[in-house]
Amino acid sequence: MKINPSFSSIIHSYRQSALSKRSTSRRLVAWVEDHRLRTGPAKAIVFILPTRGCSWALSRSGGCSICGYLYDNPQKPDFSEMLSDFSSKLSSLIDPSLSYSIKLFTSGSILDSLEVPNHVLISILHELQPYSSSIKELVLESRPSYVTEKKLTLLRDHFDISKVEIAIGLESANNAILRDSINKGFFWEDFERATKRVFSFGAKIKAYLLFKPPFVSEFDSMLDVFNSVRQVVSLGVDTVSINAINIQRDTYLSSLFDKNLYRPPYLWSLVHICRELSTLYPNLRIICDPVAGGKKRGAHNCGSCDSTIVQALKDFTLSQDPNILQDLPSCSCKLEWKSYLFHSKLNNNDFFSLSF
Amino acid sequence: MRFFQPLSAFGFSRLLAETRTSHILAPGLLSFNSGNKPSNFGFSGFFDSSFPPRFSDLDSSFQLRWSFPPHLSERVLSSSFTLSSQPFYPSFVSSTLSESSFSEYVTSFLSLPDLHSQIFTLPYTFFDSPLLEDVLSTDCSFFVLTGLSSLFNNQRKLSELFVSLRSRLSPDIALYVPGPIAPAYYSFLVYSGIDFFDDSLAYYLSERGFFLTSDSVYPLSNHPECYCSFCRSSPPDILGHNLQVMANKLSQIRFFLESDNLRTLVERDVHSSPLLSSTLNYFDRNYSSTFLSRFPAQQSTSLVCTSSSSLNRPEVELFRHRVRERFNPSPQTRVVILFPCSARKPYSLSRSHSLFIQSLRQAGKSFLPFLSELIITSPLSVVPRELESLYPPRFYDIPVSGFWSEEEIAVTSSLLIDVLSKFPENIILINHTYGQGYSDIVERVSNSLNLTVYHTSISDRPTSSSSLSNLSSTLREVFSSLDLTDSNSSHNLSPFLRKLIATADYQYGPGSGNILFSSPIRTRGKYPRDIQIFREKKLIATYLSRTGFLSLQPAAAQEILDYSLVNLDFAAETITGSSIYAPGCNHASEFILPSDEIFIVNSGCVLATARALIAGVDMNKMSSGSLAIVKKKLKLKKGETK
Repeated sequence: MKINPSFSSIIHSYRQSALSKRSTSRRLVAWVEDHRLRTGPAKAIVFILPTRGCSWALSRSGGCSICGYLYDNPQKPDFSEMLSDFSSKLSSLIDPSLSYSIKLFTSGSILDSLEVPNHVLISILHELQPYSSSIKELVLESRPSYVTEKKLTLLRDHFDISKVEIAIGLESANNAILRDSINKGFFWEDFERATKRVFSFGAKIKAYLLFKPPFVSEFDSMLDVFNSVRQVVSLGVDTVSINAINIQRDTYLSSLFDKNLYRPPYLWSLVHICRELSTLYPNLRIICDPVAGGKKRGAHNCGSCDSTIVQALKDFTLSQDPNILQDLPSCSCKLEWKSYLFHSKLNNNDFFSLSF
Repeated sequence: MRFFQPLSAFGFSRLLAETRTSHILAPGLLSFNSGNKPSNFGFSGFFDSSFPPRFSDLDSSFQLRWSFPPHLSERVLSSSFTLSSQPFYPSFVSSTLSESSFSEYVTSFLSLPDLHSQIFTLPYTFFDSPLLEDVLSTDCSFFVLTGLSSLFNNQRKLSELFVSLRSRLSPDIALYVPGPIAPAYYSFLVYSGIDFFDDSLAYYLSERGFFLTSDSVYPLSNHPECYCSFCRSSPPDILGHNLQVMANKLSQIRFFLESDNLRTLVERDVHSSPLLSSTLNYFDRNYSSTFLSRFPAQQSTSLVCTSSSSLNRPEVELFRHRVRERFNPSPQTRVVILFPCSARKPYSLSRSHSLFIQSLRQAGKSFLPFLSELIITSPLSVVPRELESLYPPRFYDIPVSGFWSEEEIAVTSSLLIDVLSKFPENIILINHTYGQGYSDIVERVSNSLNLTVYHTSISDRPTSSSSLSNLSSTLREVFSSLDLTDSNSSHNLSPFLRKLIATADYQYGPGSGNILFSSPIRTRGKYPRDIQIFREKKLIATYLSRTGFLSLQPAAAQEILDYSLVNLDFAAETITGSSIYAPGCNHASEFILPSDEIFIVNSGCVLATARALIAGVDMNKMSSGSLAIVKKKLKLKKGETK
């Protein structure tokens, strides 16, 4: 069984009570950001397509315990408006003389036909065609179950498949964590099959790994990230993105956070993970750009060193130069962090706060 | 075989490492910084893992290494313990989730190899779970108690948890509470049965600018100056200082345990926290029996009663309990005199009491066998003269104010009523005390028992010449009116003999004193040396002047076997070696307290006397480890059978 029924029903009830707050309409959003291509630093254009939202989150399972992206999706997407927005934003944001990565996100799975019908996907790919020389990679986010032979064939027929990178939110290679902590709904084996399929078409894979899901202590989660990277790399994946938790409103995790039962990870942990991984896997592309880094609801330290560390992680992601992480200024919260790692591990992640 | 074994219990146990080394580990501090030399601060052990974890740690296990002196490390059962897995869901998720994950955890834990060196994680919410039974029946000897912080605002739940957990767990299981806990809490937690703490607080606070002292936490900007070498170095090494404070606190606790005096330290420390004071109060009021059945009754350290909670201290409760249950007054008593206590102990060596005794003699020596003396005091309430030399009456000390609280008056008069009811009917009470508290007590007692009371010290201090002459004349007057002819004068017992009989009753069980000391005895030795007691030229017992208790020869123990409450039913017919181990124990009397003299019995025959290491209730729970040290074995002459 890929879900834990009693855990899933708790998440489902949170989801039900929050879904009414969902927006009913939203336009396509796009922006340009710094990005690391396999060859070096470049720009990326990110598109968030307004679809009906992640089918897993909408299902009776309740979706993932940590994810609240669904609430931003409109209930009734207008695809013709979306396509016209797409082409106008694309032409205004792109500078054909530069190299780009195009990221197509839906806050769900773009390869899910219920979110993006095939004809819409094909139109989008056609819009991209004129710029194909400056587009170095096309990133498509999807759960592994939608990465089918048919979809991959469709992509191959309408775009240069070697530039396509399927980004899969694996989160962890540990099935127990996937089931009991995240309620992800698929297992490592599903990811493995999807990856092999993608590789057989000549496309690439990016694996998202979640750092510090609920109930897993920060210490154990670091080990879990190491283990997941080891497994993912053994499949031949060359890019991992370490995503530190950020607390999204109206999720199960957010309810724990509100009761003071969860602390988002320390930035020091991310620095340590990146440092450890970059020494062991010099050829692996490691992306670590914490959402809400330094904020209360994202990965943060004590408050005084946060901006330095977040900047260092950004610089590292762009340059992939491990030296950036070597000589960071120390801070008074570093020992506190080590102590926290230890006692939250021993306390089985029961949040320990004593008035001493 | 469990790794730990209890050494001596005080409230709850403290732990030794595995038998062959007898190295004391608990109460102790564990370090999570393996880079720090553990020997620096006397850590009991350290977690051999790096924080943060390295990639290479993926294939190694999470281990706790014990720090033993090098010459012992080869002899211990296991030098490290492993934390193989933990329950997945913490205690705050829904009960269905945490219950199923805990039961999965227990199942997987039980299938691990080498359970004696595995670390078991117990979320406090499962302290009464039936699943625990299976774990308790294994050799697993180290529990991590998690989730406790949510209880640190609820004294009722906290004391319930500690008491039921420790009464359920065998005393050779160590309990460890991980997390930042201030050293001011240590003594109380040790008293409640926690054995291990860790140094995470020092790391948590130090660089954030907090300064620890043994009883509080201060910001660096404003704290009491410290002259330790860490603070004098420049820049001051706050982490070093804080670690030292934590380690020193535990060393202090070990010292107080060593001298059987932890409770005194606890009473001192709980004053820093309202929660702990109220929890201690709650313990004393609601769970006294749990503590009473584990407190040593035979000690020779001073008992300092400085707070109002001293009235409910286990030793004090225990004394009152035994006076009520075990004290048998001399049956020929016609007159009972109440005296106040004295600062010097035993009372009869004080100036005031020697004056009292002098006036009794002046009244007439022939009256003495018909007199009984009771000393009224707080917090012990009522001390019969016969029991004044043992622990605690001989060793307590109180701040004298002359003021009696309502509770003290209630407790004391209730015990006095019970004691006086043991005397023959129609006894006459002479009240030679002075002050409002005393007279309140006497009034309550005389109202409830309908006694004739003479007040001999009503207008002046008991030691004043008028009060003393009042006492002698009243006594003469009272006795002249009594008809003493029907009393058998051959039963006139000397004060020392009365003391021996009462001590034996108090120590072994009511009735034993009369059996041991009814026929003529001879003594050798004089106070303050130990006194040997002979009967028909055979040594039967030794009176230990230092503690005020008796030590019996096995043959004498045999005589009182039917009355004795300190029997341990032993499984074998002979005893080899000098220790009694748990597997040899069929059943131990629940009345046995640590440091008691006990009788090792096999099919009705006392094989030896021994000194108990732990309480009888805990002896019955243990599956390995030593329970008692043999004192005297029964020697059989050639051809003689049992």
